[in-house]
Amino acid sequence: MDCSLRSLEDEALIRQIQEENYEAFVELVDRHSKRFYSISYRLLFSKSDAEDVVQQAFLKLWEKRLFWDQGKKAKFTTWFYRVVVNLCLDHNRKKKAMPLLEGAEPIDKQEGQEVLLDEKRKQILLEQFIQELPERQKLALNLCFYENLSNKEAAEIIGIKVKALQSLIMRAKTTLKGRLNHHID
Amino acid sequence: MDSGKFKENLLLYGTDLDQWPEAIRQVMITALENSPELQALMAEQGKFERVLKNRKYEEPSNDLTHRITSASLQPDIRSSVSLRLFLSRLFAEGFYFPKPALLVGSTLMIAALVIGFVIGFSSSTGSMLPDQRRANLQEFLHYEGNSLWGKQ
Repeated sequence: MDCSLRSLEDEALIRQIQEENYEAFVELVDRHSKRFYSISYRLLFSKSDAEDVVQQAFLKLWEKRLFWDQGKKAKFTTWFYRVVVNLCLDHNRKKKAMPLLEGAEPIDKQEGQEVLLDEKRKQILLEQFIQELPERQKLALNLCFYENLSNKEAAEIIGIKVKALQSLIMRAKTTLKGRLNHHID
Repeated sequence: MDSGKFKENLLLYGTDLDQWPEAIRQVMITALENSPELQALMAEQGKFERVLKNRKYEEPSNDLTHRITSASLQPDIRSSVSLRLFLSRLFAEGFYFPKPALLVGSTLMIAALVIGFVIGFSSSTGSMLPDQRRANLQEFLHYEGNSLWGKQ
């Protein structure tokens, strides 16, 4: 791969991609696929679905590369987060929600495994509670808490004001805290 | 800082004080040092965040990048962009239009062409009334007859 591409910023890579530089596309995928997989996994809770969505998003980018408007001066990652998040939301709407607790293995009371199983049960409950949050609260929590994005960037991705985003985060955490305290302690 | 406001900020910015906005960080640290109540709230929030951080996560497959780039080389994707590439190259050779302007321009040209066709077809002989057509024919024959007589 062309080493000079590594030093380029995302937006410069996009311009290279528009000029049919395939290596630039490979560099962009290599640079960001893990990051966008992460948010997809958080929203879909399935490795294969998350990988499919990330692939679909990058293929869209490649296919529609000539339509990227540099004039808007949007940061590539912010714009692409929006693309990936929308694909995940569409995916979730099409796919029937799967009850996580029914999919869990039955708890085996063998000695020594109890701590491990308790951890697993906590993880399943936590995931279920997160999935049950309203869509925007879930999105705000995933972007800010799990993806470590700034409030400003997360607000831009969701398309709301920073104050509204902060309110979503607070409501999400308060709900989760209450439910976790009730079920886990 | 009262405990209600402190709790709110804890939910918003978390237990890592470095993540707090500079404007309130120092006030927060001072309040925390002097209040066992706030320290208890901090500990409780820390416990909650540890549970959240313990959320299940699966790493992506090692070949994810390769899978995506390979899929981008599939023939159907290449063929779907080839016409666009051809047109963009064509335009890029001689002059440059910003993409939206090019799109708007070509749409307007197509629209003008369609409207032209519609107007052209609607004002052709097909839309003429039968009486009008008969009168025109009689006029033509009369003229042709006169000119023939005139020649003789």
